[in-house]
Formats: sequence, structure tokens, C-alpha cells
Amino acid sequence: MKRGFTICCLTLAVGCLVLASAGCSKKSVQASSGSKSSESARRAAGLDSGGFSDQSVGAGKSFEPEYSTNAPSLSLSGSDLGGGLESAGSAGGDGIGGGDPSNGGGSGTFSGGSAPLSGLDSIKPGTSPSEERLGSGTLLAKVQPGESAARQAEELRQEQLAAASSGLLDVFFDFDSWQINEQGRMALAGDAEWIRGNPGVLVKVEGHCDERGTGAYNLVLGEKRAKAVRNYLVELGVPANQLAVVSYGKERPFCTERVEACYQQNRRGHLVVRKK
Amino acid sequence: MKGVGVSLATLGVVVGIGLASILDSRATDVFLEASRPDAQKIPIGVVGFRGLRGADWLGGRIEEVLKADLRRSLIFSLVDLPSIGIKVRELKGDEKGVFRQATDNGVSVLVWGSAATRENGKETEALIDGYVYDGGSNEVISGKRYVGTSGVARLMAHRFADELVFRYTGEQGIARTKIAYVAERKGARELFVMDYDGHDPRQVTADGYLNLMPRWSADRRFLIFTAYRSRNTQDIDMIELATGKRWTLISKRGLNITPALSPDGNFLAFASSEDGNSEIYKQDTRSKAFARLTNNPAGDLSPTWSPTGRDIAFVSDRGGGPQLYIMSADGSNVRRLTYEGDYNAAPAWSPKGNWIAYVCRTPARTFKICLITPDGQKREQVTTGPGLDDSPSWSPDGRHLVFSSIVDGKSHIYMINADGKDMERITFEGAQNSSPTWSPA
Repeated sequence: MKRGFTICCLTLAVGCLVLASAGCSKKSVQASSGSKSSESARRAAGLDSGGFSDQSVGAGKSFEPEYSTNAPSLSLSGSDLGGGLESAGSAGGDGIGGGDPSNGGGSGTFSGGSAPLSGLDSIKPGTSPSEERLGSGTLLAKVQPGESAARQAEELRQEQLAAASSGLLDVFFDFDSWQINEQGRMALAGDAEWIRGNPGVLVKVEGHCDERGTGAYNLVLGEKRAKAVRNYLVELGVPANQLAVVSYGKERPFCTERVEACYQQNRRGHLVVRKK
Repeated sequence: MKGVGVSLATLGVVVGIGLASILDSRATDVFLEASRPDAQKIPIGVVGFRGLRGADWLGGRIEEVLKADLRRSLIFSLVDLPSIGIKVRELKGDEKGVFRQATDNGVSVLVWGSAATRENGKETEALIDGYVYDGGSNEVISGKRYVGTSGVARLMAHRFADELVFRYTGEQGIARTKIAYVAERKGARELFVMDYDGHDPRQVTADGYLNLMPRWSADRRFLIFTAYRSRNTQDIDMIELATGKRWTLISKRGLNITPALSPDGNFLAFASSEDGNSEIYKQDTRSKAFARLTNNPAGDLSPTWSPTGRDIAFVSDRGGGPQLYIMSADGSNVRRLTYEGDYNAAPAWSPKGNWIAYVCRTPARTFKICLITPDGQKREQVTTGPGLDDSPSWSPDGRHLVFSSIVDGKSHIYMINADGKDMERITFEGAQNSSPTWSPA
């Protein structure tokens, strides 16, 4: 009874998936219609391990991050080890893997690149080994930059423009340090005055680092720098609710040459303006 | 009677000493597998893949990829066949003379085959036959026929190489593994996945902002990574490679970085600054319950699990500069691991558990890749030269490392044996390729 219910729901879910993907251009998974492909479509949609109601909804907008927390299980017990990127190909043989389902007369195996090895065949002299048919190399959804990519770029541009016109000054740091020096304190005194005079704006303090050191540690260091700047601005009377911090580590450098003058440019607390 | 008793006792002592010396040698001899000398490798000869009906290009490609895979396996040593009088690409079938010549010259395994193409509808299909002669049994022991689109020719060679590794060692080879990494696209940082040898790069994210530090799930279906949602907060996201579907796993206040799944997938360790400074937390991936593992006013980050899941190595600057520490997976029993140098970070515990790779700052003030044993007793510097190295990640066989290195402002991805030999650059497009992470086998 429960099984029948599950199959019924799966069919519905696959139907939803096909409908949803039809309406969103080529960017989502190419789920094939037809009953034979339901297994591979089901696997591709991750229906094996998670609840399917939210997933079938999500499948139609796969590249707009959906921020559901209801993710599929990651524990080994709940997943199919050994299938990996090509699990759909080896299981179904059509649709997702992009391969030709008509494999060699049933004697061969169908497997994608990371599917488990099927082993070398023992052969007698003069005979041919049996056939192993490979699906498409890597089972990866095709990506196309979504609307969010353009939006991110535009928002970034607006922030830079607003920051430039506000006349806010940045703060620069020594290597592996988040201490604000005398020059930085002078810059922030002027910044604090401007922010207090513009209670309608939100200022984001970005922490940046030079290329030396690890990416991960520089994210933590960048946050320390951004928070040091924020805390100093608050000391100077800026309301904390006008300030936000974010660390970019060494991921968005202002210059990329390998000289100290350039490194110095990248070790900074950068102030940008966002409309509240 | 008494004599027998004495000699038995003597025997016991001798056996005891013998056993002790064996155990002792295991304890003191640090096992660096990549340093297996050439003499212990299996000599293999690749005769070639004869192109049928004009498919010489295909045969040549298969041979080239297969040889590179066999060399990188560090299981086989490639024998130069012409130097022992064997013509390449000439073997058609069971040719006893060639086999004798090979075994007389110490070649243990010979591999050859043929390559052909055929039209199948709109697509050109590739057909590869591969055969294996085993010198030990003096027989053509096995073979394999691969069929697929010509676009997967490299994959056929990779699979054949891994079959050979498995046949002779029982281990899963690495020729079919992938490397996830971060590359610059239009000013943004996006995730990519490529073959382990750098071929066939494919873009995974395209949200136009920063996607950093990917990690694989054990089943290779998902990447878990740091993403900047709306450019102002970092979250830890997960993407399903086959579909592009994406979920947010962790979105605490502040930084959410350096995710690391436990080997059994039951826990996600990560660093977050929700409590003011960066601390390490873990989430039960089933119940979603959080546990805070570190409690220190300094920055704690970059957790990496031991293969048993019992311990976690991480970075902390509680002693000044960043150094490596180890704790039990419940946060207890914290001890400092690195003392040499003033900057040690980005640890990666090896799949066999015997080494932790990390980024070390050398006396010459450059950032290189180092190894240290989890007991801190032995330390090695793996890379040399002027590059700024970052993000070491182990191959699943524990014999190789992949890492990024900045040279003249350009960051690219390199592969190296764990003993520091055979460094190979594997990315060539763009100028910002970083944060490589090797998939499970």
C-alpha cells in the first residue's frame, strides 16, 4: 500500500519535473519523459534520499539558488556509493547520461566515467572481449549564468559608484594585522562624520587581504579587519545599525602585482555605501 | 627434557626479538608510499593501439592517455619498447616472439589494442579493444572492448588504466577521479570540475559572485562550498552536480567557511563567526543539531577529519600566528601539532591517515606545501620554488597532492607526488584557478 503510494507520488513528481523544466529553457536537467526514464530522472532529481515535494518544485529553477535547508542526506548509509557522477547513466541508460541506450546485445555493460569498474575479461586467444559501453563522460548539468549573475554585477557597480561619490576613505593594514594605525584613525574620523550626517545610508565595511597566506585564513583575517573598522566607527558615534561587515579575504584584490605597494593596496578595510 | 624446555624458551626469546624488531621498524619507518622506488614498480610495455580504417589519431590518443595514467599510478614503470627491440603498434594478436622478447627483458606486462570509429546515426562512435599479456603466467590474460562517442575516448583510456591498477594491486586507481576547483569568470569566482589530469573542465556554478573552497561528498554527487549570498553574507551551500540544484546548509550570522564532511557523511564540520570570532562547529547531517567544538577568543577554522572520523585537525591563531592543532571529534583533547615556522594553515588529512598536508611559511618567507605526521614526529617540505602555494588536497590513493600556486600573479593548479617528485601543472586556461579538491575514487 505504502509502496503504491510512493510510486504514484513519484510519477507525479516526475511529471512536475518535466513540466517545470519545459518552462525554463535548457538550463535545467534534461529529464526524459516516459516511464522507462523515471528511475534515472528520479535519481537525478535526488528523490532517492530527500523529500520530493520541495525538490520537484525546485527542479524548475535549478540555477537560482533556492536556499532550502531540506537537503538530501549526505551520510554513507543513505546514499548510493560507487555511482557518483554517473549513477544515472549506469542505472537507467537513457536520458540523463546522454548515452545511447542500445548497448551491445545485452552482453555488455553500460557505464559512465566514474561508475564502478566492471573488471577485465578473461579471454581465450582469438576471441574478442565483451563490450563496455560508456555514457557521456561527466554527468554535469549545463550551466548558464542566471539573472542573479547580472544582478550581482550591477549591484557591485552601484556600490562602487556610491562609495566613490561619498568620498569615504579606506583603511590600510600591516601584514597579518588588524590594528588600525594613525592614518587609518584619521580616515575613519572623516568617514564617521559623513556617515552620521547621512542617517539614511548603510555602510558596508569590506575586509580585504593580500595574496600571501591561505585563502581560508585570509577570510578570517579579513573579517577581523572589517570588524576592527566597524568597532572604531561605533566608538566615534556611528550607530551600529548603519554598519555591516563582510570579509572577502584575498578573493577580490584591488591589484594583482607581486610587489609590496600592491600588497599594501589589498590589505584594507574598504567602505562602500548601500541605500538603506 | 630440560634441554627441550631451554631451547623452547630460547626460541620464544628469538621469536620475541624478531617480532619486536618488525614492529619497531614499522613504528619508526614513516610510510611514504609515493617514494616506492622504481625497482618495486611493475615494468609495463604499451605496444600501442593500431588505428583501423584511418583511426590512427584515436589509437594515438588512447596510447598517450593510457601511458600518462600508468605513469601517474606510481604502480607501473613504463618500459621503452623500441630500446629492447620491440616495434610499437605492430602487434596484431597473439605473437609469441614479442612476448618472449619482452619477458626476456624483464617486462612483466604488455598492453596493446586497436582503435576504430563507426558512424552511428549522427554521432561518430569510438571502439577500443585492449589486451593484456601477463609475463608471470605467460598468457594473454584479459581484454576489454569500449564503445562510446568519440568525445569519451580519454575516458576509455582512463578506465582501462584503472582496470590494470585494480588487476595488479586490488586498489581503485585515480585515473577516473575528478578535481573540483574555483576559477575566475567575468570577475566572479565560480566552481568547476575537471578530470584529474586537467582535461575537460566544466563549469558548475554561474551565479556571478564568489563561490569558494569546494569539498566533495563521499558519493561524488555533491559539492559543498562557501557561497556569498547577495554579496553580503557567506553561507555554506551544496550543489548536486547532475542537476545543478542548490541548497543552503549553513547560514549563521557572519562567516560560514571551510566546510568538511566527516568520512561517514554524518557530520559537517565548518567554521562560523556567529559567536563573534571564527569557531569550529559541527552539524549532525541527519538531525541538523549543531555542536560547537572550539571555544577560544582566537580564530579557529579549516577543520579536516582523520579517515577514522575520530579526530579533527584545524587551524587556530590562539598562539599568535596560525598553527595546526588536533582535537577529538567532540572538541576535547586539543593539542598543538606544528611548532616550526610562524604560519601553518590549510590542513588536509591524508586518506590513509599517516600524514597531514598543509601550507607552511618557509624561512625564505614563501608559502609552500608541507607534510607532518599526526603525532608531530616527522615533517617534510614537499614543494620548493618561488610560487605562493595554497589548498593542498590528497588523491584518494594517498600518493599525490593537488594544490594551487601563484606565480607572477597567475594562480594555477598543480599535481605533485607526495614525496615532492613529478610536479605537473594541470590548468592552463585563465589566470585565477585555485582551491582544488580531489574527488573520492
